[in-house]
Amino acid sequence: MKFRIGNFIVQEIRFGTNLSYHKGLLTIDKSKALDIVYEDEHITQADIFLVRPGDDVRLVPVKDAFEPRIKLDGTPLFPGVTGHLAQCGRGNTHALKGCSVVVVGQQWGGYQDGLIDMGGEGAKYTYFSQLHNIALVADTDETFEHKALQKKNRALRRAGMRLAEYIGSSVKSMAPEELEEYEMVCVPDRITSLPNIALVLQVQSQMEEPGYNTLCYGWDCNHIVPTLINPNEILDGAMVSGSFMPSSSKWSTYDFQNFPLIKRLYNEHGKTLNFIGVILSNLNVASEQKERSVLFVVNMAKTLGIEAAIVAEEGYGNPDSDFTSCIVALEDAGIKTVGVTNECTGKDGRSQPLVYLHEKANAIVSCGNVSELIELPPAGIVLGNLQALVRDGMSGGWSDDELLGPSVRPDGSIIMENNAMFCGDQVVGWSTKTIKEF
Amino acid sequence: MKKAIVYLNQFFGQIGGESSADHLPEIKEGGVGPALELDRQLQHAQITHTVVCGDNYISENKEDAVTQILKLLSDKEFDIFISGPAFKAGRYGLACGAVNKAVHDTFSVPVLTSMHTENPGVDMYKQDLIIFSGGESVMSMVEDLRKLAAYADKILTDQPLGTAEEEGYHVRGNRHQIWREDKVCAADRVVDMLLKKIHDQPFESELPIPEMDRVPIAPPVSDLTTARIAVLTSGGVVPVNNPDHIQSASATRWGKYSIEGMQRLEAGVFKTIHGGYDPTAINADPNRCLPIDALRAYETEGKIGHLYDFFYSTVGTGVTQSDAGRMGREIVADLLSAGIDAVIMTST
Repeated sequence: MKFRIGNFIVQEIRFGTNLSYHKGLLTIDKSKALDIVYEDEHITQADIFLVRPGDDVRLVPVKDAFEPRIKLDGTPLFPGVTGHLAQCGRGNTHALKGCSVVVVGQQWGGYQDGLIDMGGEGAKYTYFSQLHNIALVADTDETFEHKALQKKNRALRRAGMRLAEYIGSSVKSMAPEELEEYEMVCVPDRITSLPNIALVLQVQSQMEEPGYNTLCYGWDCNHIVPTLINPNEILDGAMVSGSFMPSSSKWSTYDFQNFPLIKRLYNEHGKTLNFIGVILSNLNVASEQKERSVLFVVNMAKTLGIEAAIVAEEGYGNPDSDFTSCIVALEDAGIKTVGVTNECTGKDGRSQPLVYLHEKANAIVSCGNVSELIELPPAGIVLGNLQALVRDGMSGGWSDDELLGPSVRPDGSIIMENNAMFCGDQVVGWSTKTIKEF
Repeated sequence: MKKAIVYLNQFFGQIGGESSADHLPEIKEGGVGPALELDRQLQHAQITHTVVCGDNYISENKEDAVTQILKLLSDKEFDIFISGPAFKAGRYGLACGAVNKAVHDTFSVPVLTSMHTENPGVDMYKQDLIIFSGGESVMSMVEDLRKLAAYADKILTDQPLGTAEEEGYHVRGNRHQIWREDKVCAADRVVDMLLKKIHDQPFESELPIPEMDRVPIAPPVSDLTTARIAVLTSGGVVPVNNPDHIQSASATRWGKYSIEGMQRLEAGVFKTIHGGYDPTAINADPNRCLPIDALRAYETEGKIGHLYDFFYSTVGTGVTQSDAGRMGREIVADLLSAGIDAVIMTST
C-alpha cells in the first residue's frame, strides 16, 4: 500500500480575496474561511489571525493544531470525525508544510489547554512557534462546559479540522514541490535478516465519558483493545488528538500527521531494521483494562515475530503504570524495548520521575519535566484569553500561590509549569529536550 | 573579590593527627593547608578564614560542635563555604556534610564539599548538598580542589552551571529539563538506543532507575471495634466552595473538613477539584472517593469504634514528593493530637 504526501512549503501567509497558493505564498480569503468555521451553529464568535515565527504574540488557551491538507481522492481529511469512514494512508494527500491551523479559545480554557509563545524566550518551549500559524480564535455556545475543568472542546476542534481541510484544498490540483513516499508491504513479504521492530503507541484514553479521548477513525481509544495499524494511516489523518491530559504531554493532531518517530523508523527500514508496523495501544484507568492492553500488545508482538520494540506514552501520572508495565512485559517476552516519555520530577526536580519504575525499564529517552517552572515576560499581543491560565484550571497555571503569586501578573508576565506549554514535551519525536541531574 | 571560608579537620587544619581528633572547633585567619592551595585556584574569591575541628569531637558531639561552628561564623562575612575534600575518610566526610548543611540552612550561602563515592557522607548528605566526586586519598587533593574552585568561581560570577555529570559532583536525584546542545531529537535518540540495545552495545538510559524509597507497612490495628478511624484522600474531595483553595494539580495545600453528624457526603455539598481524572462519578456521589456512608454503617454495626469528625483532603496529581511528605507530616501531627488510631487513605 503506497502512500504519497505531496508537499508545498509555505513561506508566507497573507489574507486576500481568494484562497490560493503560489510559490510559497499562501493566500487566505478570511471571510470564506470564517464561513467554513461558522458551518457549525455552535460557533458563536470567531476570528482568524496570522502569526509568524518570532512575532511578539502569545496564544492561549490553545486546544489543538492541524496541518492543512487535502486528500486527492476526495475522502475526508479525518475519516470518522469530519466525514464518512474511508481508508487512510493510501494514494495521494497534499500538505501545506511549515504551517498549522492552531485553535485558540477566545474565552475559556481548561485542564488540557496550552500556551504558545511565537517569539522571545518562550518560543523554545513548543514546536509550533517555528510554524506560520493560522490562529482560529473562537467561542462556542457549549455553556455546559464553560466552567468545567475538563472540556471536550468539540466545536472548536472540529472547526479547526474543517479549516485545515479547506485551506489544504488550495493545493489540490497543483504539482507538489516535493514528494514523500511511504510503503508498507504486507508482513509475510518482508522477511529479511534485519530485526523486526514495532512501535507501540500508548495514546491518551483516560476519560470514561465520550468526547475527551484520542480518536482512531472517530472511535474512542478508551474502547479499543490494542490493534495493529499501518503507520501510513496515522500519518494520514486516522488519528485525532484528544482533549484530556496536561498540554505539554499531549500529542496534537498535527503531531500525529507528522510523527517523527514513524518517519525515522521508515528511514531505517531495510537498512538497520525491519519496521513491521505500529501497535496502537491506550492508557485506560481501570487496572483490568491496563492489564488487558499490555496482554494484547505483547501477544500481538510475539505473533508478528517482533524482536525489539519502542513504547511511547502520551501522558504522565496514572499512565506511567501502563508505560512501565508494557515495557516490563515486552522484556519478559524476550523483546528488547526502549521507552520514550516525559517525567514529573516536580518544580524542585526531586520527585520520582515516573509513578511506576522498574529495573527492566532500563532504556528510556526522556523529553522533559512537566513541572519545570517557566517565567516569561509579557507578550505584545495575546490572542485568546490570558486569564484562562489562572482562572480555568489549566494545568501548569494557578490563581495564587504563597511563594510564586498568581500565574499571570498585572503586567502580563507569566509564571507557570511546563505542563501548560502546548504539546511541549514532543514525545512523538521532535523533542531536543532531555533531563539531567543537577 | 568575594569571600570564602573553609572547613577542615584537625589533620588538614594542621593541628595534628589522630591524637588531636578531640580538638574543639576554632577559627583561624586566612587559609591553612589545603585552603592555601584552594585560595590559589580560586579566581574570584579570597579565603578569609579556616574553621578547624577534630573528627572525633564532631562525630561524638555533632549538635554542640555544629552550634559552636555556627557561632564562630556568626560575625563573619562570606559569600561561599567550602569543606574538605574529605576523600574516603568517613568521620571527616560526615563532618563536612553536617557543617555544610548547617551553614547553608543558617547563612543561605552556597556550600560545597568533595568526597569519594564510598564515603558515608555522600549517601547521608548528597540529597541536600552538592558533593563533588573526589579521589580516594590525599593523592588527588589538587584535582579535587580544582573542581571545587572552578564550580565556586562559576557560582560567584553568576555563570551558567553545568549538570552533575559535566561539573563532576555526585548525582542527587535533582532532575531538570535541558535542551541538548547537539539538538539530536527524541526520534533519533530512541531509534539509536534501540539499535544499540538490539546489538548488545552499551547505551545510556536518559532515565536511570533510582533506588526505591520504600515505606514499611504499619502493624495491624489490634482491635478495630474500639479504634478511632480517620479517612484521608488524595482524590480532591472538598466542600463545593473549596475554602482552602487547594490546587487542582501540583497541590501544595490540604484541607480538613467536618463530617460531624453526616451519614454520607452529599453531592452538591462536596465535590472533587482534582484535575487528573474524570470527576463525573465522584461529583455525583462523593462517597465513592471518601466512603463516609460505608464507614458510618461500620460504626453503627460496631465494626469500628469511632469515625473521626473530620476528613483530610488534597489533590495527588503532580504533587512533588517533598510537598507530599510535608503535607503527610502535617496531617499526621494533627491526627496524633486527636488520638486517631488508624486511617484509611483513598486515592483515585
